[in-house]
Amino acid sequence: MGKSIMSVDDSSTMRRMVSFTLKSAGYDVIEASDGAEALNLLKSRAVDLVISDINMPNLDGIELTRKLRSLPSFIRTPIILLTTESDPGKKAEGRAAGATGWIVKPFNQEQLLAVVAKVVPN
Amino acid sequence: MAINNEALQQQLINDLLIESFDGLDRFDREMLTLEKGEGQPDTLNIVFRVIHTIKGTAGCIGLGKIESVAHVGESLLSLLRDDKLKLSPPMITALLEYSDALKDMLRCLEKTGHQGDKDYSALLEKLKNLQAGEPLPAEKPAEEQCWGLFEDEPVATAPATPAPAVVEKTIVVDAAARATTSVSDTAIRVDVGQLDKLMNLVGELVLARNQIVQFTGKSTEPTLLNAAQRLNILTTELQESVMKTRMQPIGNIWAKFPRIVRDVSQELGKQIKLVMEGQETELDRTIIEAIKDPLTHIIRNSIDHGVEKPEVRTAANKPAEGLLILRAFHEGGQVNIEIMDDGQGINVARVKQKALEKNLITPDQAAGFSDREVFNLIFLPGFSTAEKVTNVSGRGVGMDVVKTNIEKIGGSVDIFSEAGQGTTLKIKIPLTLAIIPALIVTSGGERFAIPQVNLLELVRLEGEQARKGIELLYGAPVYRLRGHLLPLVYLNRELKLEQSADEKNSGDVQIVVLQADGRQFGMVVNEINDTEEIVVKPLGKQLKGISCFAGATIMGDGKVALILDVLGLAQLAKVISETRDRALTEKPEEQTRADDRQTLLLFNAGENSRLAIPLSMVARLEEFPLKDIERAGDQDVVQYRGQILPLIQISQFLSQAEPAAQQDPMQVVVYSEAGRSVGLVVTKINDIVEETLAIKRDAPRRGIAGSAVIQDKVTDLLDVPGIIRAADPDFYREPKKENP
Amino acid sequence: MSQTSKQYCTFFLNGLFFGVEVLNVQEVLRYQQMTHVPLAPATVQGLINLRGQIVTAIDLRHRLELPARVSGELPMNVVVRSEDGAISLLVDEIGDVVEIEDDVFEAPPETLRGVARDLIKGVYKLKERLLLVLDTERTVNLSGVTALAKEQNN
Repeated sequence: MGKSIMSVDDSSTMRRMVSFTLKSAGYDVIEASDGAEALNLLKSRAVDLVISDINMPNLDGIELTRKLRSLPSFIRTPIILLTTESDPGKKAEGRAAGATGWIVKPFNQEQLLAVVAKVVPN
Repeated sequence: MAINNEALQQQLINDLLIESFDGLDRFDREMLTLEKGEGQPDTLNIVFRVIHTIKGTAGCIGLGKIESVAHVGESLLSLLRDDKLKLSPPMITALLEYSDALKDMLRCLEKTGHQGDKDYSALLEKLKNLQAGEPLPAEKPAEEQCWGLFEDEPVATAPATPAPAVVEKTIVVDAAARATTSVSDTAIRVDVGQLDKLMNLVGELVLARNQIVQFTGKSTEPTLLNAAQRLNILTTELQESVMKTRMQPIGNIWAKFPRIVRDVSQELGKQIKLVMEGQETELDRTIIEAIKDPLTHIIRNSIDHGVEKPEVRTAANKPAEGLLILRAFHEGGQVNIEIMDDGQGINVARVKQKALEKNLITPDQAAGFSDREVFNLIFLPGFSTAEKVTNVSGRGVGMDVVKTNIEKIGGSVDIFSEAGQGTTLKIKIPLTLAIIPALIVTSGGERFAIPQVNLLELVRLEGEQARKGIELLYGAPVYRLRGHLLPLVYLNRELKLEQSADEKNSGDVQIVVLQADGRQFGMVVNEINDTEEIVVKPLGKQLKGISCFAGATIMGDGKVALILDVLGLAQLAKVISETRDRALTEKPEEQTRADDRQTLLLFNAGENSRLAIPLSMVARLEEFPLKDIERAGDQDVVQYRGQILPLIQISQFLSQAEPAAQQDPMQVVVYSEAGRSVGLVVTKINDIVEETLAIKRDAPRRGIAGSAVIQDKVTDLLDVPGIIRAADPDFYREPKKENP
Repeated sequence: MSQTSKQYCTFFLNGLFFGVEVLNVQEVLRYQQMTHVPLAPATVQGLINLRGQIVTAIDLRHRLELPARVSGELPMNVVVRSEDGAISLLVDEIGDVVEIEDDVFEAPPETLRGVARDLIKGVYKLKERLLLVLDTERTVNLSGVTALAKEQNN
């Protein structure tokens, strides 16, 4: 069975792109449209990787990272944040919150697969 | 191109379009709350996020131009969000313009698949200048690496528990999250195409159900009957549930209105407060689409023609700020939408004058119109009261188009207005169009479906009644329905269908009493079958030109039946004339109410034994000996009170076989208008009666304005202005010189 | 497969041999019961129920100005895809699907007259007979035909 990845983004376009790319590469993908929904879903199931946007309504990516890190089952789960060049400070914030890595938007399918392969080899 | 899978790329673009249009509508709305100073602490972050998302997503799917345009706005918004800049009115205007530019590009992408080559540099320059010296962040990341892991970096900090400093903030956010997650927990986004497909499948299921129910009707097997019964109930429930999924709140299209109201009122120098009530009222999405443009037009119209300028309002003791109320609610299986303004109301005199100038009505009609009839004049094609064509509402589409579009989806528009108080438009539309109840009839061996909304009642004439019940008025068949004259249309004749021998020999007459555009007529068919729920399917473009069909449906036996368009059929049969005087007639219930007692002069002219004109039109009744009649040109005249009185033989202007015989002395009805007179030559004056008139405007006939039942007899009302115009085209046109 | 060959779905009409590109054909059906559409252009023979989809059936003989079908002979349906959805072309008899090299293709001869000139894309010179290739998009577009029908009525 493929590794499972949660994609968190308030943009359904981004979720579709991420999940299509990852599914084509053999991963299982769960989607959530913001941090709060992701947190809710993750309370009842574990995943191998969380890829989350930063700027989202309800609960942003940085807060989501912090909250996940406070849950016992997510202490070591890799979390990749999607940052943008206009928010250079966010990268540092993400790191402080406990994120594992980052990927800068815009990215392409190869870049996404490269970072995922490095963190959770399938 | 960032995506190498074409189908996926198209999907992503579709997603981006939906998401971005939604986002930009929200953007506009939030900008307007900011403009009013009603913004919440989070508002700037919301608008920032909209643009931020568009930029990031566009970048990821290789839409570089949209990405770079979005970038400029994003940087201005991030400065605003971080309190490094203060939001100013010019910024709001520029940002709204910027939102339009993005929508523009997205629309171009939607239509052509390309981002377009329109140049937005002036606008972008404006936005950059508004940043007032704050540097624009770099467009491309300075770092070469576009992803990485923190552990690979030199100063790695271990994953940490939340810093105490942010705990408080976390709690706040968490509370907000709890309050707002409910929707995202229970709602998912579904492709509209998927819903349409589901609806089609349910349509098929309804047909299959109809077939089975029809088939099992003949069976006595209890298990089968039970199963069929269950299938019947389940299908109905499923149908209702699926229809519900296609429902959208009307607020989805209203979302654009605050922006439109703001822009239009600014352009016209007016102040308007927009109040929207009942945004959550739900309608089928096909209907939502269909009413979007008519509503937009009505709103522009209200701002342009309804609400006055602030100084005018103040002078009239009204608040400077005008009020525009949009209200939607469900009532009796229909959706009601009301658009109210507290403006100047419709100027009855000006509307009449305009309609006269444009020859839409005759002076005679104008004099007799109630205010309500006058209001309805604005729905006539080619009518516009604006003194000058503004670019706000004068764009070639008139209220007639609004009315037609709403009627096309089975709705109706009504207008109410009071001078100085304001105007209200009331729109009623059906909830859904896809599956409708219909009556199935047979004519000329073919089955047709008649939408139930048009159906008033069924009348069956047997034996003696069938032979005598239908009377002819100048060849036009009518039936007396409770004292009212119902014009009749034979469906097989209108559709040029051959009748079978059986049908010809059948003694009974089946009349389906229908209503279209507020008027009633009877349709004679050979057989009335059942009422059924039918699934409306469109006709191919090869058949679009035939106005009497609204579509087709598949019957229980698998055969196709056509759905009649009752309004189109009525127009084809000429029981309702074309759009011109459609707006002038009232609904039947109002008709009875609006009936007024009139004094009428009854007379004959040649073969016509029962003619009437309102006595108010008659100046005098005269007798002239034949020897006094002279000829001037080809016109009979007589000297009368020092003037030359032209004489008109009424019988010549009616469709009569024989000219009326000359009588001595001649019976003349003197008719005067605007200082000019004509003599109408009749055969015999019969009576003067006072009657409550219920006038039917049925099939147009020469010289006849309509008919009514007077003293229990069908009586034709003479179209005096029409006859005078036919006899003397200049009577109405000449300047009123002789008018003192 | 050679780049210069195409597959055609063939049929017969008044003894002539016609073809439409297989790509444009949705399906081929035996005779289907039709519902007559009053007041429609004469070229429209009726409506058929194609598994719940309502499809307009065009009398191809009438469309191509060929003599009317002998009554009692039931036409077959070649259902083609058009911009406006599926449309059925009524033909006398269905032929085979044939694959033809492009080099035997020729533009319609100058002598071809009338409506056929507009609707026939070209001709393949096959060994036994000529195959007339129909332009389906033009064939199902009756806008000119409808207008004509109206003029005649007036």
